Amino acid sequence: MGIIPLILWLIQDLLYIIIFPGLVTILVVVVIIIWLERKIAAKVQMRFGPLWVSKKIGGALQSLADLLRYSFQEVIIPEKTDKWAFILAPGLMFAFATIALIFIPVGPYYSVLFPSYYTILFSLALIIITPIFAITVGWASDNKFSFIGALREGFLLISYEIPFLLSVVSMVIIFHTYDYINAVQNQLSFLPGIILNPLAALTMLIVMIRTTGRFPFDITEADSELVMGLFTEYSALFFGVGMATPYVELYNFSLIFSLLFLGGWWPFTLNVMNPVYGLILPGIIVVVKAFIVMAVLVFLRAVYPRYRLDQAVRSGWSYVLLLSILSVILSVVEVMFLR
Amino acid sequence: MSEVRKPRDPLTGHVKALAKGFKYLVEPNRMTLDYPAETMKLPPNYRGFFTVDDKKCIGCSMCEMVCPPEAITMVPRIIGEGGKTIPAPEGEKEVKGPKRTKRPVVNWGKCIFCYFCVDVCPVDAFIPTQVHDLAFEKDSEYRPSYEDYLKPPEEPYKNSKKVISKADLKRGVSYEPAP
Amino acid sequence: MSEKVYNIDDLQNINVEGEKYIILQIGPSHPGSGHMRLKVWLDGDIIVKVDPDIGFVHRTSEWLSERREWIKAVPIVERIMLPDTVHANLAYVLTVEKLLGIEPPPRAQYLRSLVAEINRITSHLYGIGIFGIFLGSSTVYMWAFGDREPFIDLMEMLTGARITTSYIIPGGVRWDLPNGFKERAETVLQYMERRLKDYEDIWVKNPVVQARTINVGTLKKEDAIRLGVVGPNLRASGVYYDTRKHHPYAAYSNLDFEVPTMKNGDSYDRLLIRVEEIKQSIKLIRQILKDIPEGKIIADQIYNQLNPVMKKNYEEKKRVMFPAFMIHMRPPAGEASAKVEAGRGEIFFYIKSTGDKYPYRFRWVTPSFRNLPYFTHVTVGHRLADLPTIYGSIDYFPPEADR
Ligand code: SF4
Ligand code: SF4
Repeated sequence: MGIIPLILWLIQDLLYIIIFPGLVTILVVVVIIIWLERKIAAKVQMRFGPLWVSKKIGGALQSLADLLRYSFQEVIIPEKTDKWAFILAPGLMFAFATIALIFIPVGPYYSVLFPSYYTILFSLALIIITPIFAITVGWASDNKFSFIGALREGFLLISYEIPFLLSVVSMVIIFHTYDYINAVQNQLSFLPGIILNPLAALTMLIVMIRTTGRFPFDITEADSELVMGLFTEYSALFFGVGMATPYVELYNFSLIFSLLFLGGWWPFTLNVMNPVYGLILPGIIVVVKAFIVMAVLVFLRAVYPRYRLDQAVRSGWSYVLLLSILSVILSVVEVMFLR
Repeated sequence: MSEVRKPRDPLTGHVKALAKGFKYLVEPNRMTLDYPAETMKLPPNYRGFFTVDDKKCIGCSMCEMVCPPEAITMVPRIIGEGGKTIPAPEGEKEVKGPKRTKRPVVNWGKCIFCYFCVDVCPVDAFIPTQVHDLAFEKDSEYRPSYEDYLKPPEEPYKNSKKVISKADLKRGVSYEPAP
Repeated sequence: MSEKVYNIDDLQNINVEGEKYIILQIGPSHPGSGHMRLKVWLDGDIIVKVDPDIGFVHRTSEWLSERREWIKAVPIVERIMLPDTVHANLAYVLTVEKLLGIEPPPRAQYLRSLVAEINRITSHLYGIGIFGIFLGSSTVYMWAFGDREPFIDLMEMLTGARITTSYIIPGGVRWDLPNGFKERAETVLQYMERRLKDYEDIWVKNPVVQARTINVGTLKKEDAIRLGVVGPNLRASGVYYDTRKHHPYAAYSNLDFEVPTMKNGDSYDRLLIRVEEIKQSIKLIRQILKDIPEGKIIADQIYNQLNPVMKKNYEEKKRVMFPAFMIHMRPPAGEASAKVEAGRGEIFFYIKSTGDKYPYRFRWVTPSFRNLPYFTHVTVGHRLADLPTIYGSIDYFPPEADR
């Protein structure tokens, strides 16, 4: 490979991270999903929701306005906090949530910077790192409410990690690959994953709700008990970042969900190594699918109150674990009899 | 009451809750008044800001006496031509001599709109209005002078759409353009 | 996590000194505390002791009322019990009427019951809404507060104010039913009946709610009686007691209604009992609007003192103006007390008069204050996340308790 194509590839990779489906897309998607979450809740609750910021388009700029407000607020760092951890943890949390995206291809085109046949493993590894920083946040804050929030996060983390991995493993067994692209190609030639293994899809959905703190698992942030949970001591942009991170995680999870279960870029089946056909068109399909998954999950806020910690942990170790084990067994059975 | 308490099994419960939420998501059901783009025309007995009829009032101070938060002060006035009053000379506290009288002024910072004063007035001199959403910028505006107090309160958001509320079987409250 | 089981008797013996327990100061500025502070000792996730610290919104209502003319206490007591204004107003006026020896005419009695029942519905909806947000369901919070609106509109139509109505005065009420009230009320009641089914799906029978509330914060019948809790919370523990039935006032002796009671006395029962009471109130409002007799809305003693302008107003606009008597009222020396079943329980009033223009002793006990033992007694042994459940389910309103 000559030097010039290499530079072009690099630029493309950079654009991949920064523009599509990276940071800029994340920003747009998160802004829209927060707005949508509020609008959906408002609709169910017989009211308007955000409206007066940009009234013509239904208040869609509300989250941007909030972001601006967060950016210009005073940053308050309390005396007794562990300063470095306090400042760095939310940023790192956000960063790791974003970096995971590198290993989530949204089209058959794939980067040369990190060429890999193990994208599923890498992305999972990065996603699983994020909660560690959440716990750091709670520990650094020197606030009992944050501390309890961090403990809760820890408990839940441990009890839902295994079902999560098992549900992915069961898809890996079916598709016989550790690569998203191959997994999608498999689905394109056969059936979408959600039909092949609905149990795994269900487990994955539950874990998504839990990990990103949607209702009814809004346990670490339960405001009537823990004020703001982990982020009680935070203000300004740090708080904004902390608030946005679950949505970025939600975005990642939804991308993974649409790649593993919803047939990825189906019905787009061309396989061309070209930025437009290889990345942008299939990418848009995947992002739209992910967006729909996100919309369904944020709708739950309008229906459910939250579970108690012990109930969530108990169901994590019983129903959800059972479900995930069953999904693995289902996969094994399918592979034995179908292939 | 045991049949009331009987818990629902979780699966039906989840399905019904989600279905109900979805039903509300798709059907039109908004209850909110889009204030201040729309403002409400309130029923005629609504207790809003009120002024006093300078000519009708006889200066009896009953309103001052009944006011629970003591929001009313009586200011000394002189009865001028045609029954209208003019301010008493500066510094005059006592109400003595011919043509001397008193008139009520309401401190809006204290008033709780109980309308005891309106109801106790023996000549029904107060003029109630339905304006309820005035805001004051300065502390001094809470305590108008008698002349300012006499001016009928101006409704804010004059250009807004006037609506009346109606009981509605579907939405509880719905808003119709005021006649 | 050690699953230690604590019971009420342990509470007295537990030594909370030392480093073993986490002490949480929940409140007074905390989303889940209201205007009070709850000092909570935690053993891991388990509550070993709760010490409610009240008095943050003490507003000296008794002291203020003792230094004012009798009529001026009406707005004061209303402002203490904001979700329950009519009941506070009614309880006070009943006491004063006993001192004065005035009996309001039957139509006024019915109107009093009418506003009281409308107010009970709004008060219960308020409680359900707050419970909702404590468990994290913003939908129920918004729904309940939205559904108060049609009822508050009814109040507005009748009394001219939405919440602080000051509607009931010694001798009667201040306004008569306006035209179109009955039809509007019927629509609202039908709407509410339909909505109660929606509440059932999304809230009352929601599996998450059931998981959170069943067997949480149980108060047994004997304990409920011993601790002297009142109102729906008492009835949820299975005690058949309702002031409206046992010591009828206003028009309740002529009305036919049931007093719902539950058996278990847990948070779920306390939620259900409020829903059941809303149903009873709907029934009562229908009955009142059907049976309401014609006639005066103010006692003759007051009516005769109205001057010609006021009488004209009464005939034309159905509006009772105040004769000078209202200001200069001096009830004869003596003592009187009255009880009223408010949304959160029983209000008790005791007033002593020396024949002066101010009350000599003004004493009242609000229901929330009497429900305070819930915090110390039923929270022990539960998890931290159950604290909002218990708080929400007893529908505790700190300003009301602090007076
Ligand atoms: S409405 Fe009530 S508070 Fe206001 S001035 Fe009249 S008596 Fe006083
Ligand atoms: S009660 Fe009526 S007449 Fe008497 S001072 Fe007040 S406004 Fe004037």
